[in-house]
Amino acid sequence: MASLPFTSAAPAPGIPPVGIIANPVSARDIRRIVANASNLQLADRVNIVLRALSTLAATGVPRVLMMPDRAGIRAMLSRHLQREQNLHHTFPRVDFLDMEPTSTVEDTFLAVRLLREAGVAAIIVLGGDGTHRAVVRELIAGTTNPAPIPIAGLSTGTNNAFPELRESSITGLAVGLYATNRLDAAQALAPNKLLEVSIGGSDGALRRDIALVDAAISTDRHPGARALWKPEGLHSVFLAFAEPQAIGLSSIGGLLHPVARDAPGGLSVRLAQDPARRRFGMLAPIAPGMVREIGVEQFQPMPAGQPFAVGLDAGVVALDGERELAFDVGERVTVTLRENAFFTVDIARCMGIAAAAGLFRLPS
Amino acid sequence: MADHPFPLSKDELLAAYRRMRTIREFEERLHIDFGRGDIPGFVHLYAGEEAAAVGIMLHLHDGDRIASTHRGHGHCIAKGVDVTAMMKEIYGKKGGSCEGKGGSMHIADLSKGMMGANGILGAGAPLACGAALAAKYRAKKGQPSDVAISFVGDGASNQGTFLESLNLAAVWDLPAIFVVENNGYAESTSRDYGTAVDSYVDRAAGFGLPGVTVDGTDFFAVYEAAGEVIRRAREGGGPSLLECKMVRFHGHFEGDAQTYRAKGELEDIRANRDCLSTFKAAITGAKVVTDAELQAIDHEVLGLIERAVTAAKAAPLPTAADLTTDVYVRY
Repeated sequence: MASLPFTSAAPAPGIPPVGIIANPVSARDIRRIVANASNLQLADRVNIVLRALSTLAATGVPRVLMMPDRAGIRAMLSRHLQREQNLHHTFPRVDFLDMEPTSTVEDTFLAVRLLREAGVAAIIVLGGDGTHRAVVRELIAGTTNPAPIPIAGLSTGTNNAFPELRESSITGLAVGLYATNRLDAAQALAPNKLLEVSIGGSDGALRRDIALVDAAISTDRHPGARALWKPEGLHSVFLAFAEPQAIGLSSIGGLLHPVARDAPGGLSVRLAQDPARRRFGMLAPIAPGMVREIGVEQFQPMPAGQPFAVGLDAGVVALDGERELAFDVGERVTVTLRENAFFTVDIARCMGIAAAAGLFRLPS
Repeated sequence: MADHPFPLSKDELLAAYRRMRTIREFEERLHIDFGRGDIPGFVHLYAGEEAAAVGIMLHLHDGDRIASTHRGHGHCIAKGVDVTAMMKEIYGKKGGSCEGKGGSMHIADLSKGMMGANGILGAGAPLACGAALAAKYRAKKGQPSDVAISFVGDGASNQGTFLESLNLAAVWDLPAIFVVENNGYAESTSRDYGTAVDSYVDRAAGFGLPGVTVDGTDFFAVYEAAGEVIRRAREGGGPSLLECKMVRFHGHFEGDAQTYRAKGELEDIRANRDCLSTFKAAITGAKVVTDAELQAIDHEVLGLIERAVTAAKAAPLPTAADLTTDVYVRY
């Protein structure tokens, strides 16, 4: 692995490294044009990482492994770390994973595999719902249920229903407390639900993917510019959780029948484009800056483990707000809620326990 | 909405394919002819980047202006410039788009709204601002709401002219779109080495403009995003930036040894990131068009390019007397 110039200190024995995956291209999609969505600049993403590194160091995390990229974060972070070294600031040793970036989602998948092989204690993720989905998809592949490595999300995307809006300094502290064994898994981690989407063809072929918050079915039938921002053509949404204060498609459920992240089950909402099938209408903030009228036919709880069939011949499945999987006549689409699928670091709980236990008090 | 998975009709899809295939064959033929020493000057080939030019230009009409780059053949063809006139121009012959006096980097056809390829990096952006200002005034007088598009590469986006133009377009609220064709290399310098803030959407945000990044090798992604930024500009929503992440199949210029590329990179992008192959697979896979229909277009296009080359070779060179013509334009 390529070490940065000043990171020659040997890692402290017994403390595992922490991984960081920072998506350089989240918050760049068409919603900036059609909905005034914000874009978090690369410089700010680098600052977010630097603050997390600083507080990880404060907890004694000796080493951080980062996904490299060719879109600017590695280059800018490397320059900043050199400056921090010149200023004699304390940071963990930062190594970029030994991989050749392709500037596609494959980078995230490969980075997760390499971080798993390296035995990281946790992965800090910078991105929106889509980035977190990619990380979890790889994290749960071929592992036990739930996946053993927890993630700590930092929202730097367009639609941030999954990652909480947090100051990265505090996320770094909480992850550091867990990585250095000051807090154990029972104290630090929270289980999460997800949605499994499966598309079965008449030839027996099966395609699978996941969503962390919402799987939406649209009659669009083509991924196009990927982000889903038009209510026209929305057929149904399946929700792992639905919070009333959420932005994005999960707000439909959140404003109809809220389901907490830690509550059992999810929610299925069948929408109605046809006025004859419409039971009632509602308004929902389906994208940043976009409150749109939604026609609802019905909604019902989604018990865990029960496949829900999609009653549409052809269309596209949008996963956490992005059109991903087109399906055609003859293919059968089902959505199934899974509980206890993966862990997140519960930042608020970690800091609360740390405060109660006096972990930040200095010896007198 | 068409009765198939795509936002264009079958005829429009075939037309898009024809334009992309024409660009590809035009460039691949130039690659061969330049290697033989048939062509004077330099050429910079657009092969591999066709989805961006065509996905954008399908939203434009002749009244909309574009300012192109040194790598301008694809923009010209996508905007509707005559292929034979282009070939003659590149061969430096009379009857070319500029009577053989401009060459590859100066092809222009104002009747098509093509203000010109440009040998000066970053020089197109101010020109597009001028065209957008004119369009804004014309629209105020009740004429159609035209737009102007500046194309710029990732390398040229570091030129002051480009950044000044973003500012000018913002303060004058111009119907201008800045398309950054990001193929990863400023000549031979990797963009992550040579660009301090390696996000063009960030750069636009620095001037208060919205920006969007799309996979420039995905025709449908470009088409949808371009439709929105162009509609926005046409309807008075002001300027914006569209970054297309793309790949070029040839060197910066013909003859470039491309030693700056990773081992196997070219083979990989030709195999896995060919926008034409992706487009073809999408429209045939959905059974909207057949392989036979596309093969017929391939055949037509090959014939078109062959005839253009034959005409270019047969055309006369400009004479000394031609030096003093076409210097000024009458308004």
